[in-house]
Amino acid sequence: MTATTVTTTDTTDTTDTAVDTRVPVTVLTGFLGSGKTTLLNRILTEQHGLRIAVIENEFGEVGIDDALVLDAEEEIFEMNNGCICCTVRGDLIRILGALMRRREKFDQILIETTGLADPAPVAQTFFMDDEIASQLRLDAIVTLVDAAHILDHLNEVKPEGVENEAVEQIAFADKIVLNKTDLVTEEHLTEVTARIRAINTPVEIIRAQQAKVPLDKILDVHAFDLDRVLEGDPTFLTETEHQHDTTVTSVGIDLPGDLDQDRLNTWLGHLLRTKGADLFRSKGILAIAGSGRQYVFQGVHMLLEGENGRPWRDGEARRNRLVFIGRNLDRATLNEGFANCLAEVSA
Amino acid sequence: MTNATIASAWTTAVDDAPIAVATAADLVAIAGADGTAWILEAATGVPVGTVTLPGGLLAAAFSPDASHLALAGPSGHALWRRSDGHVVAEQTGAWSGAVRWAGPDRVAVASGRRALVLSTDGTQLWATDPAPSTVTDLAWLRDGRRLASSAYGGVRCHERHTDKPVTEYRYLGSHLAIALAPTGRWICTGNQDASIHIWRTRDGDDLTMQGYPDKIARLAFDDTGQWLASDGAPDITVWDFSGKGPAGTEPRSLRTHETVTALAWRPGGDAVLASAGAEGTVAFWRAGSGRAGALVRPAYERELTDAVVALAWSGPGLLVLADYQGRVEAWPLPDGLAR
Repeated sequence: MTATTVTTTDTTDTTDTAVDTRVPVTVLTGFLGSGKTTLLNRILTEQHGLRIAVIENEFGEVGIDDALVLDAEEEIFEMNNGCICCTVRGDLIRILGALMRRREKFDQILIETTGLADPAPVAQTFFMDDEIASQLRLDAIVTLVDAAHILDHLNEVKPEGVENEAVEQIAFADKIVLNKTDLVTEEHLTEVTARIRAINTPVEIIRAQQAKVPLDKILDVHAFDLDRVLEGDPTFLTETEHQHDTTVTSVGIDLPGDLDQDRLNTWLGHLLRTKGADLFRSKGILAIAGSGRQYVFQGVHMLLEGENGRPWRDGEARRNRLVFIGRNLDRATLNEGFANCLAEVSA
Repeated sequence: MTNATIASAWTTAVDDAPIAVATAADLVAIAGADGTAWILEAATGVPVGTVTLPGGLLAAAFSPDASHLALAGPSGHALWRRSDGHVVAEQTGAWSGAVRWAGPDRVAVASGRRALVLSTDGTQLWATDPAPSTVTDLAWLRDGRRLASSAYGGVRCHERHTDKPVTEYRYLGSHLAIALAPTGRWICTGNQDASIHIWRTRDGDDLTMQGYPDKIARLAFDDTGQWLASDGAPDITVWDFSGKGPAGTEPRSLRTHETVTALAWRPGGDAVLASAGAEGTVAFWRAGSGRAGALVRPAYERELTDAVVALAWSGPGLLVLADYQGRVEAWPLPDGLAR
């Protein structure tokens, strides 16, 4: 299921026919004090009729009759090949594996990470373990942000080689709940929003007080589904020229035309091999020369999952939209490299 | 291949999704994911008793004489005594995914990042120091004097006189299961990175078998120590450890399942293997037949309605299998498989 090679075959239609019955898994990240436990308690107590299993990594006071709450201690496993994408969360594999062997089935699984957790191994676990991937579906990474304190966390200078976890958690997010908006001014919120967008341009930002978020905005939202990638997101590729000294940014590309499949594979393969460690997330909808369908992909570091999406509609302009979120991204080089994959450009 | 239906010696059902079948002497236990183990007479399937460990079950094993049953689960472990049905349950809050008896009087239990060695009344005799991660599996070496435990980073061996490891077999990665050759010559682990790691016990000389599509969560030696069977692919692979070992050789591939859910060698060392798949197939194999690298087809195969999730031999003549819905069947050895 993971490959760095784009192939288009129009023979099978995977997106329209197959019903995905896998259980959706939502990952909740955010610093201590951002409101994760409040949100978790709200999810567990609200009358939604869902059977929910919660895997929590912090000693929150969650005690609810109708849900299964399991404690986990973060166990990050690297593999001997040294590949960063093979870093997974052993505790989650173990706990989710045991959960799946039970007869009782859940409608939704929530994973609460510690405030300092790196979201990459959590996401990669769903790509790297076939047993989990066959039964569970990573639905979305939801990051809670404390509107009053996030700028301090983002500005915190870390020693050389140490990640700023707040930056990482924002970079990885599919949805950001901007919490405690009642504690700050509108001007401050504007600055926080701009700062978040400078890191993760296409992310949906949901404002909240006391973590009051409509649950249908964060649960079972299919943010990791390929056919939903970038769809209906008006903020996508909005260039923010808001300059901060942040090394983690988004680079969006929007180019009309068809792509040469071989050149795209060479370029993308090389990019992921050489820059995969710095690429936190990548998403895209592409037009491959000779294919009547959109090619949709989604990636975490050097792991990429792609498939044919919906057909291009009659009269619809064939174009390529993609976004990279990562560290030290070189916008000019990415733009140039991608433009060279266009079919009409001679190699 | 024959596909005549075997007449079950007996059938029964338990009210849970089984996670393991344990056997010893004249008893069988069906361990349920929710925490109850049903203990049955192996010959008839008649219930003997039940034990419940709150929080669920992950592993179960009888002492060799079937006088005790050890259970392990996500939040503790328990011991059942046959003579009076007495149960000692320890809610440690630690993840216990493996139990292994050293003999009739001592059992090792994985408990979080440690392994505990208990007497039959649950008293802790000794414990290992913490491993780098939760302990995944256990094996006894040197007639029950040395305990091997697998975790992140390799296999650590402990003895009673010190809580520090006496030997370590290191390899970076997440080791999920141990298979120890009955000859004591080889120690093997199945890995999250879709490989089998093999160490020569004597000197730690090691090799890795790569190229599997999935993680290796199940692997087992037959009673002679010649054959190692594992999952990690739709085909069960069987490596030949005779002579200098499997380095540079090709495994036999046993093909019928889509996803392997259980495998168990027939006791006695005649290279007959029983296996099950998520699609509901149960197969018996002459696993050593053909040349190295051969594609082997089942000697007997049958498809059931639901996935068979656990199986175990109760002696060489009876295979006990449990499906996801809790149906339990005991099958005699199919005709023609006994040598």
